[in-house]
Amino acid sequence: MIATIKSEWRKNRFRPAFLVGSGLIAGITVLIYSGNWYLATHPGKTERVVSLASLYPAHFVDNVLGAGFPLGAAMAIVLGALFAGSEYSWGTLKTILTQGPGRMTTWAGRVVVFAAWMGIMTVVLFVVGGSYSAVIASFEGQAITWPELETVAKGFGAIWLLFAVNGALGMTLGVLIRQSAAALGVGLVYLLSVEIIAVRFIDTVSNGDYKWIGNLFMGQNANALISSITPSAIAPAISAQQALLVLAAYLVGLLVVAGGLLRLRDVT
Amino acid sequence: MQNTTIVETHSLSKRYGNGVLAVDSVDMSVRRGEVYGFLGPNGAGKTTTLRMLVGLIRPTSGTAAVAGHAPGDPAGLARTGSLIEAPGFYPYLSGRENLRVVADMASVDGRRVEEVLDVVELRSRASRKFGTYSTGMKQRLGVAAAMLKDPDLLILDEPTNGLDPQGMAEMRKLIKDIGQGDRTVLLSSHLLGEVEQICDRVGVISNGRLVKQSTVQDLIGEEGVLVRAQPIDRAQELLTKMFGIDAISRQDGAIHLKTKPENSVQVNRMLMAAGVDVSELRPFERSLEEVFFQLTGEKQGS
Repeated sequence: MIATIKSEWRKNRFRPAFLVGSGLIAGITVLIYSGNWYLATHPGKTERVVSLASLYPAHFVDNVLGAGFPLGAAMAIVLGALFAGSEYSWGTLKTILTQGPGRMTTWAGRVVVFAAWMGIMTVVLFVVGGSYSAVIASFEGQAITWPELETVAKGFGAIWLLFAVNGALGMTLGVLIRQSAAALGVGLVYLLSVEIIAVRFIDTVSNGDYKWIGNLFMGQNANALISSITPSAIAPAISAQQALLVLAAYLVGLLVVAGGLLRLRDVT
Repeated sequence: MQNTTIVETHSLSKRYGNGVLAVDSVDMSVRRGEVYGFLGPNGAGKTTTLRMLVGLIRPTSGTAAVAGHAPGDPAGLARTGSLIEAPGFYPYLSGRENLRVVADMASVDGRRVEEVLDVVELRSRASRKFGTYSTGMKQRLGVAAAMLKDPDLLILDEPTNGLDPQGMAEMRKLIKDIGQGDRTVLLSSHLLGEVEQICDRVGVISNGRLVKQSTVQDLIGEEGVLVRAQPIDRAQELLTKMFGIDAISRQDGAIHLKTKPENSVQVNRMLMAAGVDVSELRPFERSLEEVFFQLTGEKQGS
C-alpha cells in the first residue's frame, strides 16, 4: 500500500491537470472576490447589492463555500475523470497492474492520492479566499477578525467532502467508460443539468409526495451541507447530519463500484 | 536449469463477450533460461495469451502457472517483467521519472532505474518527456521498465513493432543480450526472421490454437541437399538407389535429398559418372517462413 501511494504521488504531484485545477480554483476565488468588491464599492451600478462587510475575513468561509460549489465540484468531476480515464487511454493501467501490488491495493493507493489532491485544492481555496479577504479589510482600513476555528474547520471539511464526492463520481465514470473525455462530459452534464431537472421533476410529482427521493441527490445534500455552515434566511429541507451521511455514502459507494469494476474487468 | 518450466498453460482459452474465441485450448510450456518465440499472424491470439499470463485478462477456461504462481499473483509478478503491446507511460513525465513511478510501484530500489537506462542506452535522453520520444525510444523505455525488477521471466509482446530496420536490429541485439544466462525471455512476434535469429524454441499459434511447439531446428526440419540435373528422371533414379526412396522428393523441378551437405561431393561425382549434367547442387534448408505458412495455412505473399 505504501509503495502504491508513493508511486501514485510521484506521478501525480506535478500532474498538469491538478496544477491547472488548483490554479483555476484560486483564479475563480479571486474573480468572485474582485467582482463583489467592485459591486460593494460601486453601489447602484447593478441591481445586486453586496455588503462590504461580507467580504471581510470574518465571513471568508461563506465566500469560499460559494466558490467551492458548484464550480469547484465541477472541476473535481473533471479531475476525477482525467485521473481514472487517462490510465486507459495512455495504456498505463496495464503497466501499473503488472508490477506486483494487487488491483485493490493499487486502487486504494490511487484513492488516497486523489483525496490528498482534493485536500490541497481545498487548502488553495481557503488560503486564497482568506488572503483576499484580509487584503480587502486592510485596504478598507478595517481590523482583521477571523471566524472561529470551528467554522473554518467545518467549512474546510465540507468543501473537501464535496470535492471528494464529485471527484469520485468522475473517477467512477472514468473507470466505467475507460476513457476521460466522455467521462468528464457525462459527469458535468449530470451535475449541472440532469440532477437539477430530475429534482425539479420529482418535486412536482404528486404535489411533492416524492420530495424525499429528490432529497437523496448529491446536489441537494451538498447545498444543505453548505447552508448549515453559512447563515441562511431559509432553513434547509435536509439536516446537516443527513447531508453528511448521504454524501459520505455516495463517496464510499462510488469508490466501491469503481474498485469493483477495476477488480473484475479485463484490461484489454 | 533448462529442464524446468517457468511458464506452463493447460487448455488455456479465452472467449470474449462478443463471442470471439481468441485463444483456444493452448498448452504451452516455456523452459527456464530459454528465449521462446511465440509466433503467429496478426490476430492469432498472441497478445490475448500474454495478457492472460500477466493477469490482465482472466481466462474463460484452463489454467496457467507463471514463475510458479497463478497469473496476476503478486508473487509471480514480482519475478516477471513485461511489455505488452505498446509501452504505456505518462506523457508529461520524463523517461526517468516514468521508470521511477514503475520502480516505486514494484518496490524496486531507485538506483536500479539508472542501471536499466544504461542497458537500453537511454540515459542521455532520460530527462526528456516521454511524450517527445520516438517510437524506438518508447520501445526501449518499455523494455527498461520490464527489466526493473531484474526478473527471471521477461515477457515482450512484439517489441520491434513500429521500429525502422536499424531500430529492429538494435532491439534484436538488446533482446539477445538480455536473454543471456538464466533469464527466460518469452517473445511474441509475427516476424519470422526475428524469431529465427533470436529464439531457442518457438510456439506457433494460429486462429487461437497452438499448432506447433518445438526448437527452431526441429521446426525447420532435417538437413538436406537440393539437386538440379538433366535428365531429372535419371538423376532421381540414381539417387533413389543410393539413398533410398524415403530420402528423395521432387519439388519445382528439383530433387530434395535428405542427407548431410557433406555428401554433396559424393552425389556430384556419382551423377557425373553416370552422364547426368548437374546444374545446381547446394545445401537445402526449409526456411521458418515456409514452415510457418504451412502450419498456419496462410498464403505466402498475401
